[in-house]
Amino acid sequence: MQLSYEPKKIYDVTKSQEAFKRALKVVPAGIYGHLGPSEGCMIPVSSYPLFMSKAKGAYFWDVDGNKFIDYMCAYGPNFLGYNDPDVDAAAFEQLKKGNCVTLASELLIEFAEEMVNTINMADWAFFAKNGGDATSFAVMIARAYTNRKKVVLVSGYYHGVAPWMQKLGYAGITEEDIANNLYIDWNAPDQFEKLIKKYPGQIAALIATPYYHPTFVDNQLPPEGYWQKMRKLCDDNGIILIFDDVRAGFRIDEKGSDYHYGIKSDLSCFCKAIANGYNVSAVCGVEKLKNATSDIMYTGSYWLSAVPFAAGIATIRKAKATHAVEENAKKGIKLTEGLKEVAKDNGFDLRVTGEPAMFYMRLGNDFPSTILHQEWVAECVKRGVFFTSHHNHFINSALTDADMQYTWEVADEAYKIVKRNHPDANYIK
Amino acid sequence: MDNVTMARINLFDVLRNIEDLCEMDPESKALIKDENLGVEFNVPEVGSAVLTFKDGKCTFTRGKGKSALKLYFASPEHFNNLISPPVDPKTGKPKMVIPIFYNVFKVGFLLNTFTKLADRLSHYLQPDPAEKDKLLEDPEYFKTNTILTAYTAFYAMSEIANSDFVGKAIAKRMPDGVIACEVGGTDLAMNITVKDHRFVTNKGKVEAPRATMIFGDLQFAHDLLNGKTSSFTGMGTGQFQVYGFVEMLEQMAKLLSQVSIYLA
Repeated sequence: MQLSYEPKKIYDVTKSQEAFKRALKVVPAGIYGHLGPSEGCMIPVSSYPLFMSKAKGAYFWDVDGNKFIDYMCAYGPNFLGYNDPDVDAAAFEQLKKGNCVTLASELLIEFAEEMVNTINMADWAFFAKNGGDATSFAVMIARAYTNRKKVVLVSGYYHGVAPWMQKLGYAGITEEDIANNLYIDWNAPDQFEKLIKKYPGQIAALIATPYYHPTFVDNQLPPEGYWQKMRKLCDDNGIILIFDDVRAGFRIDEKGSDYHYGIKSDLSCFCKAIANGYNVSAVCGVEKLKNATSDIMYTGSYWLSAVPFAAGIATIRKAKATHAVEENAKKGIKLTEGLKEVAKDNGFDLRVTGEPAMFYMRLGNDFPSTILHQEWVAECVKRGVFFTSHHNHFINSALTDADMQYTWEVADEAYKIVKRNHPDANYIK
Repeated sequence: MDNVTMARINLFDVLRNIEDLCEMDPESKALIKDENLGVEFNVPEVGSAVLTFKDGKCTFTRGKGKSALKLYFASPEHFNNLISPPVDPKTGKPKMVIPIFYNVFKVGFLLNTFTKLADRLSHYLQPDPAEKDKLLEDPEYFKTNTILTAYTAFYAMSEIANSDFVGKAIAKRMPDGVIACEVGGTDLAMNITVKDHRFVTNKGKVEAPRATMIFGDLQFAHDLLNGKTSSFTGMGTGQFQVYGFVEMLEQMAKLLSQVSIYLA
């Protein structure tokens, strides 16, 4: 790729670091969870911004005033662009009328209708706040409907942070919390079949993401016929198939990732993209599960707040009108093809896996340590392109061709620096 | 917590510390200067280990070996009681634990020198809480305490990964590779090799590890190992640096947190 550019400015993140020291005094770990430097794998932390001052479109600005092209999209919720004017207008309009009130808003119905009309498998929709609310509820529904206890999960899964979703040995998790979990590998219908034989009439649900997208490893799309086999095994054995579409929902197919891969799930969980950053998640289900769902007490103080419903309706309508899902996938392909070319020009073997709007990157040159890739990511971040080294990325609709061009230039400069720092590494010719 | 894992930690980790103790602690060095014998410990369901005292040095060896004094224990619990004697409710004092021994002429070593070495080890690893802060003000004590604590934690971690129920569940999620652990500003370095979910801890630096963790300095290592700070906090401040395949370090952190269950 022919690139001609001035050397990029190296960002100073002093104010972020000062704020982090302040945070450490009153907040456990300073910033907890996936946005924090530990879970966020910000290596080395001195290269990364830690606190934002504002966001707009495809960008955020940190407290030092640095502008970043954001390829993490708040780990998914930024779908149409931060502060999308149409989504914000709908939300602000509803805020003036009322948000968290003693009675539900009719927007509850409107949003559910929008989901049912959009998601292929959906006969009804139930709303909560976070993806983990949705996945936990889906499992409860499956148990209520089947009167069975056990749930099958795919190794490498992430369905949220409730105790049952975590793993033995994680802080605060007991053996009893996960006593009803059974595990299979990705792309292993034979293992699922064995578990069904081993626990006849005891498995309530299979919960899985549409494709394999754990952290730290290459993502894998389902091979031809995989989901059809799993669907049939569920059908033949009275097992509820739960699609955790929290991350991939509206990033693969606006009708649902199950539809994209040629099947119909019984329950699908959504969050992240569905309201462009406003806090709402959803469980969509098939008709046969509606009564069982109705009988479960499951709610929260803010779960019927009207503002996120207004934002969700506006998000989905705009996404459909602008063909956002398809367009974002095209951008993902264009961006990553360019990145691979830049990498190759510099002797690096960039591997890109996963769906285009949720691409995962690693280098083939530094397997198994990932050190070169970590350094490259840090050099990109220092120049205003926010990648991570451990997690899949996200594309949003506000990303422009100019942003991609800037990204390729930064990538090129960053690869050259890494190569200079490691002259003896295993480069491709 | 199970007795077999505890005995593995006591045999392959706590006893191993005597080797370093005799190197770092002048009193211990003086205690063994004229000793010349091997002591073999045999614990059912766990295995054997030998402490060899020769030329003013102590060497720890896994497995059976040349030894004038052989000690046999009836069970892992029996051995654990030697290392941490239970308190007699009648007297309020630790109960005497007597192993079955071979070579009555050498039993004096067990009752005299070995007991004193065990006391010195306790002085560094389990000081009287009322005196601990004062002791830590002495730089040499602080250094020895931190180094022995680090060795204890990382060797114990491998035993837990290979034996404990929860440890094995974590180890099952661990890919193959070598993890390097270093403490900035010191020569203190350890490495953990993982192969087919089995763990082996060793001292020293390694080339081309799959993942690396660096404690910024001895003080941060001390604070982290003693629960006075957290790895997440250290990563945020830069006092605790990680590189490479971080997933390995995440799982290792979970294993290290299991160590306190056994060695609180």
